[in-house]
Amino acid sequence: MQDVWINGTAMAQTGRHYGLNADEMAARVLEEALKDAGYPEIEALFVASATAEQADKQQMLGAYIASRLGLDKIATYRVENADGSGGAALMAAAMAVRSGLYNCVGVVGVDKPNDVLSNQQQDIYSTATDAVYERYFGVTPAAQAAIMAKIYLAKYEYKYEDLALWPVLMHKNGASNPYAYMRKQAKVEDVLESELVSDPLRLYDVGPMADGAAAVVLCNKKGAAKLLGMWTSTSAIPFNNRPDYDVLYSAREAAERAYRMAGITPRDVATAEVHDSYSIFGVLAAEALGLAPRGGLLAALKSGADLKVNLSGGLKSRGNVMGATGVYQAVEVVWQLMGKSPFKRVDGSIGVVHSMGGVDKVSTVMVLGL
Amino acid sequence: MKVGIVSWGAYIPKYRIRTEDIAATWGDDPQRIIDIYLVYEKSVEGYDEDAVTIATEAARRALRRGNVDPKKIGAVYSGTESKPYAVKPISSILIDALGLPNNVFAVDMEFACKAASDGIVAITGLVESGRIEYGLAVGTDTSQGEPGEHLDYSASSGGVAYVIGKDGVAAEFEAIYTYNSDTPDFWRREGSPYPMHGEGFTGEPAYFRHVVGAAKGVMEKYGYKVSDFAYAIFHQPNGRFPMRAATILGFPPEKVKPGIVVTHIGNTYNASALMGLARVLEQAKPGDKILLVTFGSGAGSNAFVLNVTDAVLERQKADVPKVDEMLADKIYVDYATYLKNRKMIKLFE
Amino acid sequence: MEHESVPLYWRNIPAYYRLVAKRCKKCGEVYYPPVVKCTKCGSAELEDYQLPHEGELVEFTVLRSVPTDFLKQKPLVIGLVKLGPVKVLGQIVDAMPEKLKPGQRMEVVFRRVVVDGKYGLVMYGYKFRPRP
Ligand SMILES: [Zn+2]
Repeated sequence: MQDVWINGTAMAQTGRHYGLNADEMAARVLEEALKDAGYPEIEALFVASATAEQADKQQMLGAYIASRLGLDKIATYRVENADGSGGAALMAAAMAVRSGLYNCVGVVGVDKPNDVLSNQQQDIYSTATDAVYERYFGVTPAAQAAIMAKIYLAKYEYKYEDLALWPVLMHKNGASNPYAYMRKQAKVEDVLESELVSDPLRLYDVGPMADGAAAVVLCNKKGAAKLLGMWTSTSAIPFNNRPDYDVLYSAREAAERAYRMAGITPRDVATAEVHDSYSIFGVLAAEALGLAPRGGLLAALKSGADLKVNLSGGLKSRGNVMGATGVYQAVEVVWQLMGKSPFKRVDGSIGVVHSMGGVDKVSTVMVLGL
Repeated sequence: MKVGIVSWGAYIPKYRIRTEDIAATWGDDPQRIIDIYLVYEKSVEGYDEDAVTIATEAARRALRRGNVDPKKIGAVYSGTESKPYAVKPISSILIDALGLPNNVFAVDMEFACKAASDGIVAITGLVESGRIEYGLAVGTDTSQGEPGEHLDYSASSGGVAYVIGKDGVAAEFEAIYTYNSDTPDFWRREGSPYPMHGEGFTGEPAYFRHVVGAAKGVMEKYGYKVSDFAYAIFHQPNGRFPMRAATILGFPPEKVKPGIVVTHIGNTYNASALMGLARVLEQAKPGDKILLVTFGSGAGSNAFVLNVTDAVLERQKADVPKVDEMLADKIYVDYATYLKNRKMIKLFE
Repeated sequence: MEHESVPLYWRNIPAYYRLVAKRCKKCGEVYYPPVVKCTKCGSAELEDYQLPHEGELVEFTVLRSVPTDFLKQKPLVIGLVKLGPVKVLGQIVDAMPEKLKPGQRMEVVFRRVVVDGKYGLVMYGYKFRPRP
């Protein structure tokens, strides 16, 4: 079995890239990552995208991205796990290198949700719910997140104001990230005064949809960071019959297995990027990664703990780049470990990525180390 | 045992609009409108309701009230003049919505507001002949009226369903009689969103001639007199017509009023007189005789003589919403919401 | 013109119209959505199971950012309702959200869910409302 290293990284500023086609946007950022890696010969390209068909009417995006760069004859794969596609593509790419089949592969995540109207974004996001038993009836991930937030807040006797600390922290972190979509600080009052999206969740609890592309190059030779552990886990329990609504089963299982593979404990984690498409998921993901006890993350935030989580600003501030999210997170964690601008070097050598598709349907956790 | 009503179910949508709110929009004097029609408020369907959903609710309640196994239903006939589809039956949707067997006669019937009662007549025949054990007759409408036109004050939404059979009959059909003719008092052309009507012509030559004709016909042919009946129920396009029909026939007001629901929900068309019957069955005593006369424009009336049996007491105890409870359970909407719920605002489609 | 898939709708009619779930013949576990194999005892012998028409509200939210099919029905009240052995997620109608309370009695109703434009199919299904 081969070691897997991250040799090259790149990401685009998130936002509204009205002037770029999806394949073009992905190709540009992949080119940067290849350059960063010193132009190794890549044998395969793994493309993460959640919206390519629905927003951009394109399947087999990998083949078209390869065309833009003249990457003839390589293998291309499109990997889709809704907004968790990034983690899934990284996982697939890492397995391919680890197995020894390929020496070097590219992973690029791209999505352009702003190519469609806001209600169409809801249509697309809803396809991550059960098409027959949820989506048909108008259920969206936001509604499910809201129900989980209500149950979590009641169970641990928090007020909504406590949950508002999450978006405040995200805006604080994202304010200094030039790649982020929402780069301004927010106060608790801003959160409390924002419009309700699905009670108790308000506009500030929702990661705004943003166009984005990020890429990494994975090789079996030493690079900037090493992949120490990785695991993907699904939660097969339908939303309507979850025993508990205050936990992310998929994240908990993936973290446990990835940590075990890496031989680390939560104490070793110097930085983590988690999938906070809704603030409640940030809280639950951080707890699933062991950064706080179950039900304890908001208490930690209230007591002013210095949590090294989503230094990028997370989905709330960086933006919800859908299927590209996991790749962004990997780039961000590597840069945070390296101290590469705009990030300051974190106090430690281990970083964790949590990428999630849908509402606790599939999570990938990766442990990266210098 | 005679064929009769085994069970019944009614459904009135929760929303109401007041006559004064309609009048305020169109510059009418609300008091004058109320004086003419005796309709104070009318039922309005929810945005996600139509004649199919209303029929389903009423039919489910009818099956539940009588604890009737849906698999024993051999015919489902829906009377309506507000089909969501011009072509595609309500009755076939009811088969799957209610869990009826596939070996069930199913068709939608149209004779303005009278069709549901023709469903009862047809099912009665099928049960009498022994071809089916039980049948389900449904009256359902989200009836139309041009905004601002007088129908706007009465055309409303509601549904009823009757399980007809021989076993467990709560009200036997002792006699049935019909009176029909070509009388163009009210019509809606194919593709037209709203009906047209002949104003005063809907009265004497249409409603009264047919209602009174059918009532007199059934009484004369089968030998009943007014004093035999504890209740008389007439089709109710407004609050005045049934009272006047009663006067013409010699029924005292106290025998007619229990069967009048139009004053607070408007004219539910195919569910109109049959909603009145549901209300009466919810208070009748064994041995009571009921005269029921339906009416449909175009025009015709069916008259039924019912004899209430002991089984009615058990049906009255069932845990199914009563008409009176539904009359009281309401949310008022404004005229804009009314137009929205009735899909009368032009939207992108 | 894009149209909804008719077979997709049609084959789900038992669930959409009548809330038909699956029950394991061996151990009695009830599944909604249905499973192909009992996840508790492994048996592949499953039978149709009719969920009750009344239940209890578990939790709900008022969703204001809705998909295209529901743009004219904002806000949607989305709730979890306990129906016998399972919970079901769906729309709550005929209710004032400020008056809804977890634990209250709910009934299943039959409503329009999606209307496929002016000429397409009218698609029905279950929703919930407070038991009057
Ligand atoms: Zn089993």
